[in-house]
Amino acid sequence: MEADLNLDLPHVLFHYQGLYQESGVRRVRFWVPQVHGEDAEDNDVEDSDFADFEEFDSEESRERRVPSAEKHHSKQGPASDSKGKENINDEVQEEEGDEASVEEEDELEYSDFHDEEEFEGFEGGAPTGKSTPHLTIAKVPASAIGSRWDSYILEIMMVTGLVIYLTNFMMGRAKNARLAQAWFQSHKSLLEENFVLVGDDGKREVGTSGGEENPTYPLVKESEHIYTLWCSGRQCCEGMLVLLKFLKRQDLVWCISQLVRKQSDRLEIQFNLGQDDMDSFVWCIAQKKTAVRLVKEMYDLGTYCPERRLGEKFGLSSSFILMSEIPEALTSIVDSKVTATLNKLAHMVDYIHVSDQYSGPKNQGDGSSQTPSTEVKKVLICGFIVPGEGQAHDLTVIDSMKPLLQLSFYLLDKLKRFRLSKEGKQKAEKNRAKVYEAQMRQTHAARAEAAAQRREEKRRQEKDRMLQEEDPEKQRRWEEKELRRQIKKKQPKIKQLKVKSL
Amino acid sequence: MQQTGGPDPRRPEKIHRYKPIPVGTPGSPSDDATPDYLNVLGMIFSMCGLMMRLKWCGWVALYCSCISFAHSRVNDDTKQILSSFMLSVSAVIMSYLQNPQPMTPPWST
Repeated sequence: MEADLNLDLPHVLFHYQGLYQESGVRRVRFWVPQVHGEDAEDNDVEDSDFADFEEFDSEESRERRVPSAEKHHSKQGPASDSKGKENINDEVQEEEGDEASVEEEDELEYSDFHDEEEFEGFEGGAPTGKSTPHLTIAKVPASAIGSRWDSYILEIMMVTGLVIYLTNFMMGRAKNARLAQAWFQSHKSLLEENFVLVGDDGKREVGTSGGEENPTYPLVKESEHIYTLWCSGRQCCEGMLVLLKFLKRQDLVWCISQLVRKQSDRLEIQFNLGQDDMDSFVWCIAQKKTAVRLVKEMYDLGTYCPERRLGEKFGLSSSFILMSEIPEALTSIVDSKVTATLNKLAHMVDYIHVSDQYSGPKNQGDGSSQTPSTEVKKVLICGFIVPGEGQAHDLTVIDSMKPLLQLSFYLLDKLKRFRLSKEGKQKAEKNRAKVYEAQMRQTHAARAEAAAQRREEKRRQEKDRMLQEEDPEKQRRWEEKELRRQIKKKQPKIKQLKVKSL
Repeated sequence: MQQTGGPDPRRPEKIHRYKPIPVGTPGSPSDDATPDYLNVLGMIFSMCGLMMRLKWCGWVALYCSCISFAHSRVNDDTKQILSSFMLSVSAVIMSYLQNPQPMTPPWST
């Protein structure tokens, strides 16, 4: 923006050249011809002394003053003008750091000064008005003039992302809680028909409500996407642990990854069986992908069921893989009724795992993955998939899962009733004895190795102590003792060699 | 599939109380190690933000804390989650107090 404004005041000639706004910084440039020396002093004196006669003297004084000002300019001459111009340029360039052109003075502005009749004896050229003004143009901080929020765009994005994440967290958490409640309400009657105790966290008195801190009780929240339900007091089992493994809806990052890789909510039901509730056998029916994972993760399946068979051979859907230690156990329990139900609900059944040697997943961290980490127990574990890939979650979908729980109870009852034949029992015992022996061998070897390491460590410590010993006699005695020990250690071998050579 | 019917399967004398599986043991309901990893990652980023005055490190630490909190177990130590949050927030605040200039986007350089 630029505007020119000429003010012809009695004492000072102002030339307001313009108002610039460049890159958010406004600069106002004033060209003020300086009034020097005597003239200025005279003017001051005149102003003060003859202020009362200003009106009468105005015309006369103007006549006097203007030439004096012109004289001053003419005294400076064109050389000083050009110098002044250069100075201005230098200052502008220094302060602004960009191109700043000084416009050529418009001669018409000073056309009054060319009037020869009015200014007699005035020989100087037209005043250029390019004297050296010493104006210090302070840089005004941009923040004082305009808003700088647009430069904090990344920070605004970060904060917005956090707000979105927290909003999604609240929504996802609420949705998972709603789903858990819906599942429990849908299956409540069935659970209460089968168990005396429905819902327990191991702390409260049986039969009490969850209170305000646990509104989803009797479901127990393990994390924002995992809910558990413990039921007990039924024949054929000690208890049933239901695990509702929902999608991690509370995590926005996971929600975005869900767009690429679809996953489903899962339901895991684990029955803990008593010692007399089932015979000794291991089998598993699982979807193809899950079967591969289970064999890798579960110690009992990897040890007792190395063979995998297609489900088609047993009248099951082709998507199923069967693993069984003793074939008769599988064929007896998975009867026509179970087969029909499994085929009907194939899209919801992930796996069914029956084992008397269950020790949980292998511990991935340590190297001793070949031995079970905990004591074995008898279990029936059913893994189910909630249909809809995490999308459709109305009550009809939840209700459609009821037959899965009924199937679990049916299998549980069959496990109690089924008993292995004599051959089957012998085979099972043989397998277990073999595994036990292998474990003992492994543990013995590990124990021996640990003992050898301990001995070696002890010897090293003793050696270090002796090296630090100041008494040479003691050191010599220890060396002799060590030598004798080593000779003694080697002796039997030498003897043996001698015997062999003889 | 309908139930086998017959007598009532419930047995009041066979009630067993729930024994929670210790966290960290394989097979426990919430053996997800994600919150632990993110907690450590958040701490590392927080320290980088504080020591090296890197603003983006502070922000990443804040995000790590949020994700760790979202994945945390109910029985987790709240003090640990709180300290992780405080550390990441202080990393962001300190980096801006030392240098209030905004972050420069990578595409602007």
